[in-house]
Amino acid sequence: MTVPTDLLTSIPPYVLIAFAALAVLALPRRSGHAVAALATAFTFAQAVLLGDGGTGAHLATQFLGFDVVFFNVDQFSLLMGVVVGFLATAAVLYAYGSEAPTWVTAFALIYVASTVATIYAGDWLTLIFFWELMAVTSTLLVWQHGGAAVRAGYRYALFHGTGGTILLAAVVVHGVSMLGSVPAGEIFLFSSTTGIHASATVLAAIGIGINCGFIFLHSWLPDTYPRPHVAASVFLSVFTTKTAAYVMYRAFPEGGMWLAYLGGFMAVYGAFFALLQYDPRRLLSYHIQAQVGYMLAGFGLATYVGEFAVTGGFAHLFNNVLYKSLLFMAVGVVVYRTGVEDIRDMGGLWKVMPVTFLVYLVGAASITAVPGFNGFISKGMVIDSAHELHNFELLLGEGLLWWLLILGGVGTFMSFIKLGYYVFFHGSATLSPDDATPFQTGGMLLAAGACVFFGTPLTYGFLVDLMPFTAEVAPELHPYSTSHLTESAALLVAGFVGFFALKRPLGWLAHRMPDVDAVLFPSAFYLGRGSVWGVTELWAAVDRATIALAGAAMRTASDPREALARAGFDVEIRAGIGRSVLFLTLTAGVALFAFLLV
Amino acid sequence: MTDVLLPLAVVVPIVAATLPLALGLRYDRAGWPVAAVGTTAVAGIAAAIAAETVINGPFSHALGGFLPPIGIELVADRLSVAVLLLVAAVSVATLAFARVAGPRGNPFYSAYLLLVGGLVGMVLTGDLFNLFVFLEITGLTTYALIAADRSGASAYASLKYLVVGTVGASLYLLGVGYVFLATGTLNMLDVQAQIVAQAGYGDPLVRASYAFIVTGLALKIALFPVHSWQPDAYQRAPDSVTTIVAALVSTASAYALIRVTYTVFTVDFLAANEGIATALLVVSTVSIVAGSALAAMQSNLKRMFAYSSVAQFGMIGAAVALANETALLGGIVHLIGHGIMKFGLFLGIGLLALGYGSRRIEDLASVARAAPYTSGALAALGLALVGIPPSIGFLGKWYIGVGAVDAGLAGGGPIGIAVAAAIFVSTLFTLSYVARLVERFYFAGAGLPGDHGDAAAGGGDGAADAAATDGGDSAATDDREPSPAKTADGLPAPVEGAPRSSLVPDRVPTAPLLALGLAALATVALGFGGFALAEWFDPFLTEVFA
Repeated sequence: MTVPTDLLTSIPPYVLIAFAALAVLALPRRSGHAVAALATAFTFAQAVLLGDGGTGAHLATQFLGFDVVFFNVDQFSLLMGVVVGFLATAAVLYAYGSEAPTWVTAFALIYVASTVATIYAGDWLTLIFFWELMAVTSTLLVWQHGGAAVRAGYRYALFHGTGGTILLAAVVVHGVSMLGSVPAGEIFLFSSTTGIHASATVLAAIGIGINCGFIFLHSWLPDTYPRPHVAASVFLSVFTTKTAAYVMYRAFPEGGMWLAYLGGFMAVYGAFFALLQYDPRRLLSYHIQAQVGYMLAGFGLATYVGEFAVTGGFAHLFNNVLYKSLLFMAVGVVVYRTGVEDIRDMGGLWKVMPVTFLVYLVGAASITAVPGFNGFISKGMVIDSAHELHNFELLLGEGLLWWLLILGGVGTFMSFIKLGYYVFFHGSATLSPDDATPFQTGGMLLAAGACVFFGTPLTYGFLVDLMPFTAEVAPELHPYSTSHLTESAALLVAGFVGFFALKRPLGWLAHRMPDVDAVLFPSAFYLGRGSVWGVTELWAAVDRATIALAGAAMRTASDPREALARAGFDVEIRAGIGRSVLFLTLTAGVALFAFLLV
Repeated sequence: MTDVLLPLAVVVPIVAATLPLALGLRYDRAGWPVAAVGTTAVAGIAAAIAAETVINGPFSHALGGFLPPIGIELVADRLSVAVLLLVAAVSVATLAFARVAGPRGNPFYSAYLLLVGGLVGMVLTGDLFNLFVFLEITGLTTYALIAADRSGASAYASLKYLVVGTVGASLYLLGVGYVFLATGTLNMLDVQAQIVAQAGYGDPLVRASYAFIVTGLALKIALFPVHSWQPDAYQRAPDSVTTIVAALVSTASAYALIRVTYTVFTVDFLAANEGIATALLVVSTVSIVAGSALAAMQSNLKRMFAYSSVAQFGMIGAAVALANETALLGGIVHLIGHGIMKFGLFLGIGLLALGYGSRRIEDLASVARAAPYTSGALAALGLALVGIPPSIGFLGKWYIGVGAVDAGLAGGGPIGIAVAAAIFVSTLFTLSYVARLVERFYFAGAGLPGDHGDAAAGGGDGAADAAATDGGDSAATDDREPSPAKTADGLPAPVEGAPRSSLVPDRVPTAPLLALGLAALATVALGFGGFALAEWFDPFLTEVFA
């Protein structure tokens, strides 16, 4: 098939999605969602069709004298386009099946559009613009739900506003640092090998890290994602954090040990806190942090290990989009059908919701890296990469990073055993809801099918095909080797044993273990109140001083003699006749003097 | 026929000045009709002179058949005609106001006509000593007119002006004497030639003569620091007198300064004596800033705009001293524009005082609701004075500013830039006091709920004012007029028995209001005529910068 590449590269997909958002509002619900699904499916199809033949900086132009690229196609942005387009289509179907208000779908589509635009940005200016737009649109998506989502949405907006500003500062620093080394118009362009300038490292890391859910910067994740409509959660869970991981790679294509270890600790931290949760969506949100940790670990090893680690990170990113949204969908169905948001109040649902249960099993098997599912492939790649790192050796001759990732894997197992156990087994069924609606099922089957497709021993090669560095990585990749299967079995056993052994202590801990938000939110609140008070009082002080000065000027001006008298000079200042003549004479004298002698 | 026009323009008002006194022996109210006929005749003659100048170019008349340089010559060119038209128009228009506002009585109109004659003479004369004569005629009649309402304060102001004005005129005469010693002639054009032929620009006699002439004229123009007669005179004079004096007397003196500087001493003299130009620039610049700042400090409207004139004439002085074509054009445009604007402003203030009994800005809170047309015209004129386009006030300041920057860039150094900066600062000050006026007139909110209109006009303010009066001068202690009455809804109440117009809600007479409206209109309309004005004055400018 000949692909009209020129035509395809002239259509920025996010524009279509943005129009689809309007269509959702304008058209009847059914046809609106159909248009939306088509628009997102186009994004997917376009990325697939473009393939490696379509790479290049398309839609490049100038803005304020700087080169900007609105449609930058390379192997990284393409794989993001494939998975985001695919998943967005599934999510639109799911939203349609979940009775999502049209406003939710419309906001979600705008959010998807800004995500896609961020992915395809070829320069930092375009990227930061759509990055900020993502923050705005996702906040709107949260707020649309009302109720408890509003306050959480404020906190979300504060986090992302701060992060966006810091990233903006990073971009500015980058631009200033690049001046001189390249033509002034090109200072904001980036390629797949050039990241952000070294002088902007800390700013960029923090700015992007807020969206990635770095430890201590992550509390917006479990705070926000459980609040809005279940369909909105599906959209949210996928795009912001994964795009952040992608942008993190863009900024630091050479990785770094700091990033790898940060990823490792995020995996453990996220999995541990996920274990303590009883709100299903909150539990899943902590897992986002953990899974992003794996990706960052892969990206961080880009230089130390090489392409294999980067591919592992991207493969995990790709798979994570699929199974994390699948899990959110499955859990969303339960919440949607039962209206319950505490897993202790659920139980025994596998009989009444067999489809949902099955889909959940696929998602859980994928995220926990059970052989045959896509997570097994990609998590194996990241762990293999960590295997080669030996700078802090612990037990069994393995390094700290490896142990962190394994520990995170055990925690993941434990928490998904917990989630599945509480929701679907755990005592007798007290609720008897219906199963998923047809369109929910459709959406879930799309995602679940992809999870399986990219994981089986026969078909995982397609995943590698989609990844960058296929040629280098494919020969080294042997996911179904004995050691990998053993490792996976060990994790599974450890997970089961760990969960059932630690169930009671974990339950006890769940009520006592505070996350950073216990400190962060109150301190942010009091800091905010303090600064408002400080600014107000400072302004008031400036105001008082200005008024006093103006008043003094007015009094002096309207009655200069009185003012002089107060200062101790009680003299007449108006010129009478005598003084006027004196002035005149003096002036004449000075003029004579000046005119004659100068 | 045409050469008779020039002497007629001078003779008609002076001869007419005798009539009110003569007819007054028999008719009590002869003054106004005679003045009206006299000034209208002057206006007609001025128009004819203007037409002649436009058609056939500048022309002159030798008085009594004695040919210059011995005889006295009257000359009309584009510059003198422009000022002559201003004099004629303002003197006719002010009469409409004097009829209702007074001062009444035949002697007033005699003095009025004599003043017009003096002004016309100053504008038309081509002889340095003759200029002194008309300067004195103008001065003496002005002294008399300022005291025309017979109050103590105005008598003091008049006396002050009399003393310093006489000294100033004497300095001018001294200067003329010096230049006569140096050149042996008094005819302006002849002096111009003889300075080069007999003395040279560096001659101490010539320099000293310019120093005395400039100082004398600076006093008449009221440049800082020899302005001190002027605020008192403007404030204490009867409203109609202030109107004509503010519009014309300083204007004629400034015209004389331009004439003496550029026709008699010439631009080459300024170029040869940079120190002189610089000294004049410094004085003018100080005048611009000081006048504006002092104006911003005033609460009496007449006094406020009096100080404003100090600043505006500072700009004209600066334009003269900058000695480049753009700046001088700006100076001349501003000279005419300032005359029109100040005529309108003082007329409007006078009308409000006549109708509502106060000249203090606080007492006139929300007067725009009672007198919309008068307030509107005042606001428009005030904004024109600030220099907001389209207005002639903008044009003048713009040309002067551009000329100053040009001079600064062309090697005049920092002083040119300083002048431009001073004009800018002055504009800000002007904006501050005009904005205060507009705010009081339109937004004070007197009589509305939450009124902040006249809360401050209570005891504290009055006490402060009592302390501010001229200590020691018993003649000038009535700085504070009694606070006028208010209507039930807090607006300024009309004065009992004040004349009213049947056409507008304003409690003001129709004819002067019409004159005020015309002044405002002319101010704005001329603002569109920047190119036409440049064309009009181009012959004069080309001649002096030849």
